[in-house]
Amino acid sequence: MQAKFSVYRKEPGAHSKPGRSTYTVELADDATVMDALLKIRDEQDPTLGFRGSCLHGYCGDCTVRVNGKAAFSCTARVAPLAAKGGEIAVEPIRNMPVVKDLISDWDAFLWEKIDSTKPWMEPKDADGAAEPQIDDKLMARVRQAMSCNYCGLCDEGCTVLPVDFKFVGPAALTKASRFLFDPRDQATAERLRILERPKGMWDCVHCFEASEHCPREIAPTERIVEMRDEAFKRGITNEKVARHHLSFAASVKRSGWLDEGRLAIESEGLTNVSGLMKLLPTAAKAIARGKAPIPYLHPKRPGADRIARIIEKAEAKEK
Amino acid sequence: MKYAFYPGCVSKGGCPELYPSAVRVAAKLGIELEEMKDVACTGAGVLPQYISDPINARTFAKAERMGLPIMTICSTCQGVFGQANLRLQDAEYRARINREYLAEEGLEYKGTTEIKHLLWVVMEDYGADKLKAMVSKPLKGLKVSPFYGCFLRRPPEVVTPTKESNARKTYLEKLIDIVGAELTDISGKGKCCGFPVLTANEESSLGMTAKHTGEAKSKGADCMVTPCPLCHLSLDGNQPRAEQQEGKSIGLPILHMPQFLGLALGFSPAEMYLKRHIVSTMAVESKVNMMT
Repeated sequence: MQAKFSVYRKEPGAHSKPGRSTYTVELADDATVMDALLKIRDEQDPTLGFRGSCLHGYCGDCTVRVNGKAAFSCTARVAPLAAKGGEIAVEPIRNMPVVKDLISDWDAFLWEKIDSTKPWMEPKDADGAAEPQIDDKLMARVRQAMSCNYCGLCDEGCTVLPVDFKFVGPAALTKASRFLFDPRDQATAERLRILERPKGMWDCVHCFEASEHCPREIAPTERIVEMRDEAFKRGITNEKVARHHLSFAASVKRSGWLDEGRLAIESEGLTNVSGLMKLLPTAAKAIARGKAPIPYLHPKRPGADRIARIIEKAEAKEK
Repeated sequence: MKYAFYPGCVSKGGCPELYPSAVRVAAKLGIELEEMKDVACTGAGVLPQYISDPINARTFAKAERMGLPIMTICSTCQGVFGQANLRLQDAEYRARINREYLAEEGLEYKGTTEIKHLLWVVMEDYGADKLKAMVSKPLKGLKVSPFYGCFLRRPPEVVTPTKESNARKTYLEKLIDIVGAELTDISGKGKCCGFPVLTANEESSLGMTAKHTGEAKSKGADCMVTPCPLCHLSLDGNQPRAEQQEGKSIGLPILHMPQFLGLALGFSPAEMYLKRHIVSTMAVESKVNMMT
């Protein structure tokens, strides 16, 4: 099988301009993109930079974009791509600074962010005689997040990172979630406080891109939602988010549905004059167009009392 | 065709143009709606699951009692409902929710309620051919970018659980074709609009608004169409702030999916309440008014 590749190229350094190199390679019918890259480097261009480690779809070190889709180059087969005709495009994954060619800066992308989430266990009763215990049911839950091997595909698919690279990202949050339900750990409250800081878990838009991208069914989005629910239960420590969530919950409890005008005001904070002023231009336009919901004059839904009763019961049960 | 209509909070709050335009469009198509009034907000992904699952189970139980599938007009309502309904397919979990929360009111959810967004209703239950036959004013020459909202695209186990349901990922493009408009495709059509982080990280939120609307504008779109009112709040309501933040002018009108369909069904821009938008829709209105 003959296949033609168009590979992203960039020399190290912030000022080097990216380009592309094309290579035509003779390959076995069952060849992978990694086989092709290795062959290109061995036979045609020793300057081509790429990564790879386990070479059997486990470690994620070789993650690249093949024809616009993120994939492990060591498991992505060339044959179906070549069959479509044309060049096969190989590029570094998105949302990550490029060091050289297909090699990305994993330190800034992943490791520094994971490190910021306190990704280690602080065992309860560490000096005690008995080893801390965890039952099988809970361990299964912990193991789900533990099975992450940092391939970076969830961060690659993340919607937030392209507009805010400082967002901690789903991979680091998933790692942190591993400790949250582990009864042997005693740092849950502290870890949640860290994760609740700006650029942390509340910056996730829960768009489910991370879950869709995860090759190991860890469902990072669901792990982040679980952490947020836990923070809600314990009392949110991010003031701005707390105002928003508490106003939201109070509204549904009060009337059965959302008082959006009041939510906008209370999310900014009743004493936050500059924040409230910021809302004014949009509010004025909305009023002029007959679009602004009138805050506080918010009618109750017919079943509001029943709904409030359910919410109160759920809150009491979780506390 | 009859549905238990769940309009959601925003169609009667921050996007009051959505509710009446959706009701008009449904009536014109002969889709019968019985509005659910005695039900709660879905929780919109803000309320934790331990609160939203019980209140949503109550809504599903009420629709089940009406013997009707639920129709939503909001991607977020659809997504939160869909995810809750999937969890409630677990008989043990459902029994616990019934016992602890619904029994007191004499309700029981048996797990049979189907939930569909209006976009899915018109494309699946009503049918593309029938819909095409109803188009009385083809929107010829109108360049439109689709914008789904996350929850009409993901998670796959909720949105596209079967091979056939994969078509849901292209329904907006199909709708644009059915009404005779022209597709201006954008890379971010299935991404987040930025609304969910407006409180936590406004800069990031407005950055997303500018990114998607800016891309559509630069590709020549006359407008964008969305089936999600929260996306509308972000893409329309916050577009002026996004322009300010990014230091560029965009000015892209954003249409709710029922408004867009309504124009092709012969409703006037006024009947679809286009004047209620933050970004002027004048350019779209002029183009539509000139169409025969």
